[in-house]
Amino acid sequence: MSSIVAIQMPKWGMEMSEGVINDWYFTVGDSINAGDDVVDVETSKIVNTVTATHSGVLRAIIANNGETHPVGGMLGVLADADTSDADIQAFIASKAGSPAPTEATPSDVAPVAAPTQEEPAAATAKSAEVVSIKSNNLASTNLSALTQGEDDSLVAASPVARRLAQQYGVNLHNVGATGHHGRISKADVEAAVSSAGGKLHSAKPSQGDGKSRTNIDDSLIKATPVARRLATELGISLVDCRSSGDRQRVCKADVEAAAALQRKLETFPELPANEPAPFNATPMSGMRKTIASRLQQSKQTAPHFRVHVDCEIDNLLATRKQINSASNAIVSVNDFVIKAVACALMQVPAVNVQLEGDTIKQFTDTDISVAVAIDEGLITPIVKQANRKGLLDISNATRDLATRAKLNRLQPDEFQGGSFCISNLGMFGVKQFDAIINPPQAAILAVGSGEQRPVVKNGELSVATVMSLTLSSDHRVIDGAVAAQFLACLKAFIEQPATMLG
Amino acid sequence: MTNFDLIVVGSGPGGYVAAIRAAQLGFSTALVEKADMGGVCLNWGCIPTKALLRGAEVAHTLSEASHFGFNLGNIEFDLGKLVDHSRSVAGKLSQGIDYLMKKNNITVFKGNASVVDKGVLQVELSSNSVTLTAPHIILATGARARALPGLEVDGQTVWGVREAMTPKMLPKRLLIIGAGAIGVEFASLYNDLGSEVTLVEAVDRIVPAEDAEVSAHLQAQFAKRKISVLTNTTLQSIDRTGTEAIATLQQGEETLTLAVDNIIVAVGITGNIENIGLENVGAQTERGFITTDAFSRTNVVGLYAIGDVAGPPWLAHKASHEGILCVEKIAGIDVQPLKAERIPGCTYCRPQIASVGLSEQKAKQQGLAVSVGKFNLSANGKALAIGDSDGFIKTVFDKNTGELWGAHMIGPEVTEQIQGFGIAQQLEATAHELAHTVFAHPSVSEAMHESVLSSLGIALHQ
Repeated sequence: MSSIVAIQMPKWGMEMSEGVINDWYFTVGDSINAGDDVVDVETSKIVNTVTATHSGVLRAIIANNGETHPVGGMLGVLADADTSDADIQAFIASKAGSPAPTEATPSDVAPVAAPTQEEPAAATAKSAEVVSIKSNNLASTNLSALTQGEDDSLVAASPVARRLAQQYGVNLHNVGATGHHGRISKADVEAAVSSAGGKLHSAKPSQGDGKSRTNIDDSLIKATPVARRLATELGISLVDCRSSGDRQRVCKADVEAAAALQRKLETFPELPANEPAPFNATPMSGMRKTIASRLQQSKQTAPHFRVHVDCEIDNLLATRKQINSASNAIVSVNDFVIKAVACALMQVPAVNVQLEGDTIKQFTDTDISVAVAIDEGLITPIVKQANRKGLLDISNATRDLATRAKLNRLQPDEFQGGSFCISNLGMFGVKQFDAIINPPQAAILAVGSGEQRPVVKNGELSVATVMSLTLSSDHRVIDGAVAAQFLACLKAFIEQPATMLG
Repeated sequence: MTNFDLIVVGSGPGGYVAAIRAAQLGFSTALVEKADMGGVCLNWGCIPTKALLRGAEVAHTLSEASHFGFNLGNIEFDLGKLVDHSRSVAGKLSQGIDYLMKKNNITVFKGNASVVDKGVLQVELSSNSVTLTAPHIILATGARARALPGLEVDGQTVWGVREAMTPKMLPKRLLIIGAGAIGVEFASLYNDLGSEVTLVEAVDRIVPAEDAEVSAHLQAQFAKRKISVLTNTTLQSIDRTGTEAIATLQQGEETLTLAVDNIIVAVGITGNIENIGLENVGAQTERGFITTDAFSRTNVVGLYAIGDVAGPPWLAHKASHEGILCVEKIAGIDVQPLKAERIPGCTYCRPQIASVGLSEQKAKQQGLAVSVGKFNLSANGKALAIGDSDGFIKTVFDKNTGELWGAHMIGPEVTEQIQGFGIAQQLEATAHELAHTVFAHPSVSEAMHESVLSSLGIALHQ
């Protein structure tokens, strides 16, 4: 029964093996409540926030900003304020050698700390003034009771009270109302949180809305007047500052610390003076590393083979023109390809598979990943159940996904998964190329540009608009004949788009 | 061909705000403007007229100076300097927009834009033309004054707003057609500067969009200031002879003739929907404006319209807010549509008018049970102290729930006070919360409080 708890690198997705520490919300010595956002971690393709499942004082930070740590690795230590430093060190030492948990946790499980047994409530009866891990545990139990309850959207509450309740995770059914007309006021929510032993804190967003935090309104954050002005002067958002001042206000020193951290992050590592050629050294981003490791793994483990086919798309272009004459349609060639792939996968379901260990999963629906180039690399948002969607639905869904992909506003479930992938470089004038399979998928289609080419038909030379398709398949699960059958089927749909209606 | 994620056509308060919000969200953004940055609002509307009206206010204050013990003797007025002030303010703000575009990495194209296909825009620059593409194109091309047949602006006798904002000399006799917000602002301005003003309105009251009591109060004030107000009156014809014009007006059965030096036409506006390629993509329009849904989407995929060109109310702040909602919706942010009844309207004549929500008449037409409060500024200490106590504040609450349906204010600086009622509406405050809010003394805003108390039958000072 340990009252020392490790904050661990969570496992958010199947292929997540490590994460980069982005930003700690607390510094050593700060009290943390269960449910508080503790540290931002940049994982594969998103930045997520680790929240505390236990309360306590942050006694040690092991993983510093910018460092990469494996899943299960210890990031920091939470403990009672009066646990001795020696015990903390012993705890760290005891865990240091232990291997990262290999068992995959479901991706939707909230991150964190090694489970400790809850103390029975009776055993925790301590004086309220003594801040201890035990009373905090009790508090978190009470706090968690506050979160219980049915949908509280109909409970009368002032807008501020409702927002505060959301921040604390409090269900308004559990709060007594003393405001006007029996409405729950801000004070009611704060009183409920305080009496349950929760710490009132200034709001810290769990996820940044955009890139520049200076755009976030920090006017609600408690700060000294000097700190507020200094923050404005230095372009620092109070959201990014500790609040170590009197009455948990952000003070001048906190702003200066945040500014120093920002300068450190913005400064490139200095090159030795005798470096021969000038270059810019940039550490790989989380996304870059993911792309690198996944595609390397794919090339090393999946025996790729490629099958190539040319399709005439004059019929498709004519159909597209007809459809696009309606004001509500702006269907691209790629939208047709997605639709055709969905149709072909339904006919040759042996290609609609993922390989996991020794298991081949063949899917009933076709979730088609579409590669989208973005500033930081590429991402593959998924057109889900494309087999059940009409061409216009596919077109609208693709445009929305591509727009939000570029703005970094996709939810993880919108780009993780997928049963087949399409990569189209046609818009860059690429005639034909090979793509690398995105595991655990087993095939990827590389689409080139449509261009006029000479073709021979019945011994006669003529001109047709031709588009080259290349399918890369993982031979462990898809055999050559199956791939060929799929491509023939796909070619038929693309060349006679009306058949996709069937 | 140049590709963007989002292109905005028009740099008025709708367009430039939409572009900034898009850039903030990470869209690669372009803005197309054919004239001055900032659109009509900055260059020929809201801002320069307020600069001129400030001059009118100074004139009024000087005329009242003797009441406060100042004998100023003969006062000289240089109209040119006032116009220069107005133009320099407009110029300064327009440059400010240029700066904001640079700061947000928004690419600006100067020229006429036309939608040539879905997602494709042709822009005629001064020397060449460029084709721009984007999956999302927002039209914010604004609107212009509607012309009256037979009363085309000639820049000499018949003025549009531009001429009215840059007069070379003060007209001795000025006729203003149309007593909406723009008409009454010019009437107030030129009257204070010394012109003989006749204001003509086709319906039975001036500022017809406002509460009827506000209209009546303003009309009484104008009468005191010797502004001749003719309601239920239409212009039949004008006869331009040399430097003056003879206007023939029809008031009921009666025909009036009036000799004037200048005429300002302010009879409503019409959307700038021509020559922007709407027909190329089949975008629908309705009575001169582009048809849109609650999030500013047109019937054409990827094409949006915000602000004046998308229909009433024709207000800069409505355009800006629509622009933000439109862009955030595209970005997948969960936003609520704009509520028309929460858009305030301000008119900067003397006394000022500000309102939000339903008038008493409209609320009753909708069958709502209302309780109405009203407080006259003549019982407000601060208003008396500053010598400006003409006006009142009227509030319209739901009789049963206490919801604030509307607020109607006429008096000094009410355009600054209306935000208080706007916040109350947005937070769904009732008469009771407002009644228990502490208003500072002495302030003209105390009249807001008293008006609320009056609706509850507990006004303290009347």
